[in-house]
Amino acid sequence: MEKLSANTINEKIRSFIINSVKIPDLSSDDNLFETGIVNSLFAIQMMTFLEKTFSIRVTTDDLLMENFKSVNSATSFVLQKKNS
Amino acid sequence: MISLLTEKQNELYIRFKKYVNERVIPFASEWDCNEEIPRESIHEIGKLGYLGSLIPTEYGGQNWDVVTFGLLNEAVGRGTAALADLLTIQGMISITLLKWGTVEQKSSWLRLLAEGKIIGAFALTEPGAGSNIKAIKTQLYKDGNKYRLNGNKRWISYGQIADLFLVFGKSGDESLACLLPKDSPGLEVESIKNMMGFKAAKMAQLNFNNIEIPYENIIGKPGFALSMIAPFGLHYGRISTACSALGLLRACYEESISYASQRQVYGKSIGNRGMLQTLLTRMGTDLRAASLLCYSACRTEDAHLSEAFEDVLMAKYFTSRAVVNAASDAVQIHGASGCNESSPVARYYRDSKIFEIIEGTTQIYEKILGKTFLDKLNEAETVIS
Repeated sequence: MEKLSANTINEKIRSFIINSVKIPDLSSDDNLFETGIVNSLFAIQMMTFLEKTFSIRVTTDDLLMENFKSVNSATSFVLQKKNS
Repeated sequence: MISLLTEKQNELYIRFKKYVNERVIPFASEWDCNEEIPRESIHEIGKLGYLGSLIPTEYGGQNWDVVTFGLLNEAVGRGTAALADLLTIQGMISITLLKWGTVEQKSSWLRLLAEGKIIGAFALTEPGAGSNIKAIKTQLYKDGNKYRLNGNKRWISYGQIADLFLVFGKSGDESLACLLPKDSPGLEVESIKNMMGFKAAKMAQLNFNNIEIPYENIIGKPGFALSMIAPFGLHYGRISTACSALGLLRACYEESISYASQRQVYGKSIGNRGMLQTLLTRMGTDLRAASLLCYSACRTEDAHLSEAFEDVLMAKYFTSRAVVNAASDAVQIHGASGCNESSPVARYYRDSKIFEIIEGTTQIYEKILGKTFLDKLNEAETVIS
């Protein structure tokens, strides 16, 4: 898989969320869970999206709210997984 | 659908159907009447590897794809919903453990589950928390380097005979999941009898009386049990349930076609008198549609696509409603003989309704899918305008 830049990863994640929950716009730091942007089914959908799109595996060690709470945090998480 | 399968999937489907024809269907009514599947029959399905179909071979499983898992559920569901429910529950706990368990938890339990040497149960539902899993009240409070479990679970399939429970509760404000072996001091298992359908699925209520849970038995991390751990298992539960309902729908269709072609009225088969063709057409068309929806859902899951969640919801929603109609029509076609337990359609009728309740009610699916479809409509209108 080609090496993706942080901007590309960020944009792919943002597009996925906007298309999934049908909101007009999303700031990279909006807290997805506290603001109620996503429902309870969405966490697993997002995990599947991240695993499939970026060829990573989410494990128990990755279960930290910091990894999934916003577009920016998910971007950092993917970068960290790709580099580990 | 056969034409869409790979050669290997088709071979396995034939093998599953042979097993069900020979080892399940002849005994299904007896199991239903006794509210019990004999241990030797459960051991048999375990020895065949069918309780570990999705689990990698390194843990004693078959490592089959999701389409094959769906075919297995369909084949068994055609024989009896209660045994198909065992595939659902064992699949849910195994796949959850595979995804979120530690190396030690997997090596301790996964092979035993995959080989059917132990039976698992998914202890999520409570007297006051069904579809709304966030309403669970079971408590896991921290006590030094361990937890203490208190509360109740109800409507737990195979709870009466399970050797290992995956229990969901709350630790303060955070959700938490843990493994609970059946011999844990403080665990009470109460049988629930007289269910309308799935009568042999050994339903139970579980009472937790200050049970000590070692930290090593915690699954995942605090705060993720209801957002990541349970939904992962429930997703596979929906796949299994949708395909099991498809199996029952096929059984309704086959029994109805067979009866309609044999039963004579005024010298002609009732099927050829034109009176039943509306019912048979609806049943046959629903069977085809349900089959394609289930296949598509299994395929998207095999491809690990995020769309699989919506596809699985639609497959379960459609198939569980279609099987209720099909079972009702099957009884109608059979007339008085369909109202007697000597005919399998009486059992199909009772079992069919359960599919609209388990793994999320029809109304919950309508709430979720209705919003999804409305959002898509709004999106399409935005593009057009």
